[in-house]
Amino acid sequence: MMKKILQIKNAPILFHRKVSSCARHISLSLPAIAGTAEPGQFLHLRISSGSPSPLLRRPFSINDVQGDRVSILYEVKGAGTKLLSKMLPGETLDVIGPLGMGFDIDPQKREHLLVAGGMGLAPMGLLARSLKGMKLKPELLYGCRSSAELVKPGITGCQISSEDGSCGKKGLVTSLLLDRLRICRDPAVYACGPWPMLKAVAGICHKNNIPCQVSLESFMACGVGACQGCVVKNSDGNYVSVCDKGPVFNSRQIDWDQDCVI
Amino acid sequence: MKKVKTIDLRVSIAGLELKNPVIAASGTFGYGAEYSGLAEPGDFGAIITKTVTLEPRPGNRPPRICETSCGMLNSIGLANVGFAVFREDKLPALIKKNTVIIANIAGNTIEEYVELAARLNKISDIPALELNISCPNVKLGGIAFGTDPASAAALTKAVRRAYKKTLIVKLSPNVSDIAGIARAVESSGADALSLINTLYGMAVDIKKQRPVLGNITGGLSGPAIKPVALYNLYKVHHSVKIPLIGLGGIMDHRDALEFMITGAAAVQIGTANFVNPSAVKDILSGLAGYCRENDITRIKNLTGILKC
Repeated sequence: MMKKILQIKNAPILFHRKVSSCARHISLSLPAIAGTAEPGQFLHLRISSGSPSPLLRRPFSINDVQGDRVSILYEVKGAGTKLLSKMLPGETLDVIGPLGMGFDIDPQKREHLLVAGGMGLAPMGLLARSLKGMKLKPELLYGCRSSAELVKPGITGCQISSEDGSCGKKGLVTSLLLDRLRICRDPAVYACGPWPMLKAVAGICHKNNIPCQVSLESFMACGVGACQGCVVKNSDGNYVSVCDKGPVFNSRQIDWDQDCVI
Repeated sequence: MKKVKTIDLRVSIAGLELKNPVIAASGTFGYGAEYSGLAEPGDFGAIITKTVTLEPRPGNRPPRICETSCGMLNSIGLANVGFAVFREDKLPALIKKNTVIIANIAGNTIEEYVELAARLNKISDIPALELNISCPNVKLGGIAFGTDPASAAALTKAVRRAYKKTLIVKLSPNVSDIAGIARAVESSGADALSLINTLYGMAVDIKKQRPVLGNITGGLSGPAIKPVALYNLYKVHHSVKIPLIGLGGIMDHRDALEFMITGAAAVQIGTANFVNPSAVKDILSGLAGYCRENDITRIKNLTGILKC
């Protein structure tokens, strides 16, 4: 079945909060998208309607869906997100979505490990909600640089690590994963975060023969598979577009030796 | 109640009849199906399909796109499925849509262009082809033919012999005399010209001290290039008699009007499709509104009315 993609030109912002030193959470009223959005899919936002700068839309993972509301979690990083961070409740955004291929949930698996690094926390809210909806138990392993950058994940069953030890276990999220895997019986891993982290998580999973899905990031133009701008190299050596063949891929389909795009 | 006057949006480009003057630029609307739900091929006067080559091409190494001030760089590198898959898998669905299909082609050699043109000549559902002699992102072919009048003429002449339907040649702005190239192509049998393709451009990541694009350089498009495109269109309009299709940074109906007034019989939108997939509909309703306000009943009467 064809997935229904919509352009909503004026989705109202319901709330917009600072949730860490660098991250913000924004909730939009999107009844037409809320009903069909799947975990791992993304929204393509036009941040400056009517102005040529920033020009291109920006892709953001769907963080969560509650009723008619769809939220995203983002880091203020460049010109686009800086402008977005100034927007107030009541203002509207031009949204295209839901886009891309999300996470596949295998209900036969015993443990469902959600591995997030930094802003890789973004897609985990809806993934955890979907797992719970299927009577499965999500476990979040969440790594951040420091307590200042920690976003309260809002997911029960969460272990935290920080690079400077200011919250949770000192170290990288991969060490939480290795610890957890020691006592897992039949796990599935869902990961999102920076490329080096994803590469490490994929390596651990491949070595232990554990199915692993990764959500990738890329610069995008069209967001629908037309322009071929956002490609990554897959394990067959072919380029595949992140926007429509991903952003979630089976980790074995990716060539992890390529330079990261972002 | 006052009756809203209907505007005749039809245009004709060297005998190619289009229901409206807004065309999807090559490479920005895929093969028509990708934008399903957002924009339909039938909204456009014509769809120019992504550049097809005889054999599939993987394209350039990523990153392939980068935003710049009021524009974007791309270096896709003519990634495409190749002619066989284009014909078997991509074309059938597009043919069913209510639009005119124009195939954009490129090759490494004149022989490759001619072979593609001969194959397309036999496909009755494709009434026109656009010759890409202006892609800045591949080493061979493409722009190599578009920057020298003699090479552009030789290629156009060879393709003309193999192709009996509407032949459009897409010109590069990366030349010192675009009018000279336009005249060479016109006298070699081109029916119409599209201009402009992207401008050479580059961006640097100062943190990594490396080019942003995997291919180092790319092609600049978007609002940033609109004045350059208009200037080139103006120059060419005064140099040739064949119809012109204008493109380069058209985002809304006001931009489209500037191109038509300057001399374009039709316009292409490219980067705008990425930013706002409903741009085609917005532009068409804006054009009709402008015509109503200015008492113009046929949009084709706008072409080249620039007063200087």
